[in-house]
Amino acid sequence: MALLAPLVAPALAPAHGVGSRGDLPLPFTALVIAAVAALVISFVAIGTLWREPRLRDTDGLLLPGPMAALLDSRWLRVVARVLAAALTLWTLTALVLGPDSARNPVPHVVYVWLWVGLAFASMLLGPVWRVINPLRWLHAGLLRLARVSPDLAALPYRWGLWPAAIGLGTFTWVELVAEDNTSLGFLRLLIAGFIAVSLLGAAVFGRTWFDHADPFEAWSRQLGLLSPLGRRPDGRWVLRTPLHGVNGLRGQRGLVPTVAVMLGGTAYDGFSANLSWATFVQTSPVPSSLLRTATLLAFFGLVATTIWLASVVSVRLAGEPFARSFSFVSDIAPSLIPIAGGYVIAHYWSLWVYQGQYAWRLLTDPLGTGADLLGTADLTPNDLLIQPTLVATIQAVSIVVGHLLGVLAAHERAITVLDRRSAVVGQVPLMVVMIFYTLGGLTILFAP
Amino acid sequence: MRAFRALPYAVCVLALAGAGACSSASPEPGAGGATGVVSTGSVKRLAVTISGTTVTPAPAQVDLPIGSTLELVVTSDHDDELHAHGFDVEAQLKAGAPTTLRLTATEAGAYEVETHDPALTLLTVAVR
Repeated sequence: MALLAPLVAPALAPAHGVGSRGDLPLPFTALVIAAVAALVISFVAIGTLWREPRLRDTDGLLLPGPMAALLDSRWLRVVARVLAAALTLWTLTALVLGPDSARNPVPHVVYVWLWVGLAFASMLLGPVWRVINPLRWLHAGLLRLARVSPDLAALPYRWGLWPAAIGLGTFTWVELVAEDNTSLGFLRLLIAGFIAVSLLGAAVFGRTWFDHADPFEAWSRQLGLLSPLGRRPDGRWVLRTPLHGVNGLRGQRGLVPTVAVMLGGTAYDGFSANLSWATFVQTSPVPSSLLRTATLLAFFGLVATTIWLASVVSVRLAGEPFARSFSFVSDIAPSLIPIAGGYVIAHYWSLWVYQGQYAWRLLTDPLGTGADLLGTADLTPNDLLIQPTLVATIQAVSIVVGHLLGVLAAHERAITVLDRRSAVVGQVPLMVVMIFYTLGGLTILFAP
Repeated sequence: MRAFRALPYAVCVLALAGAGACSSASPEPGAGGATGVVSTGSVKRLAVTISGTTVTPAPAQVDLPIGSTLELVVTSDHDDELHAHGFDVEAQLKAGAPTTLRLTATEAGAYEVETHDPALTLLTVAVR
């Protein structure tokens, strides 16, 4: 959370708490209630849940015709793309010509709107980045200008989600570990590098690159599975449970590392704010950036290893060969997405509410000339939604609901892919891992 | 199979016991038991010394009710820049010279007080 610490610019008045406000530790009562709720949910689930697969992709409440037509309309998409493109150009202008100080809007746009805002928008509306991703449309536009097929590709793409997982991991490192990550020089390098890699990837592998390898599309798509808004296989819009979205995701290459990065990165963010840890890092003889990088990687590794170990125990309990664990882990990985979503809400709710509004004050003056182009220079972020009791409630509830959905999704998947007799036993190891993630997540929020 | 049926229950009991142990091992929040904090009325006072990368007393969370003030006296063995997040207060530290920051709590939240060169966290102020 110390991410948006104002740059040291002595000539400047200190910025008004740019990203400098953290959440109070979760109250002990909230911790206990949430932990007990998570345990009771797991306990009840194993004994009483359904025994036959029951989530069908034809489920869901059909949206009324006019609403579905609006969602499908070309105009809605064009307006969204134009707004996204305008914001991108605005931000790039500030990136190239704006001041290298805490008054530059780029860090807020990248770390608050793009990263956290996209997560919240996707959990609410679905995989929105796919619709508005400016690089996707730049690539399509360039191909159209060159009068070649939009499917032009030099090589077949075959790495699944792996490039996205690496991209997400790198971005998480940039956000949480890299020093000077709000300085303009760093951001220029980062953004130019990302645009270059994306366009190169799309040039070689075609637009499939954006479907699979783009980290922000992966982030938006995985979290977008939790959206109540979905499309049935017949193309009609429905309201449905987050479980239906998650259940629709089948194992694919690179899914486990992607989920590990999503969950591990958020957990590390909370963990690194711990004061005992901060004291250890700053007094250690090992360079702190090295220590932080190693710890972040360890968090990724911990998630990937624990879920894989759980699947090894599961397939052994089910009497299946060890080698089956590699496909089983991929089968059950989607059920960690609700837990990752819960972590994201718990950790970033107040950052999103507060800094998300604050960004308008900076965007109105992209060049640092004192201009007020959007009329938002004096906007005072509304703090109604970040009152301490409300924040603690949102944190505890989102972690517990994430856990509940994770357990249900894992159960459905276990009875689908394992035979009936082994399914009940087979999901126990995964549930143990989920309890570990949930209690870990709560402890991270609780410890000052 | 019977043994397996008992497994989830055993797991839940174990996890509950683990959760209990974890939380009792963690410091109670709200105690604000940071060492070295002296309270007089609505003013709290804390002296912090920095020697190299060692902060004394060790970084801790200091509770500050809304409306009250923390007087923070910082002495460092090197020149540095002191910054209290959220309070919008910055000060230059001269080697060996105590510098006092007055932080008045207005908005609930947790705020870090840090130095910049090297980057050290000195304490967190929990305003509630």
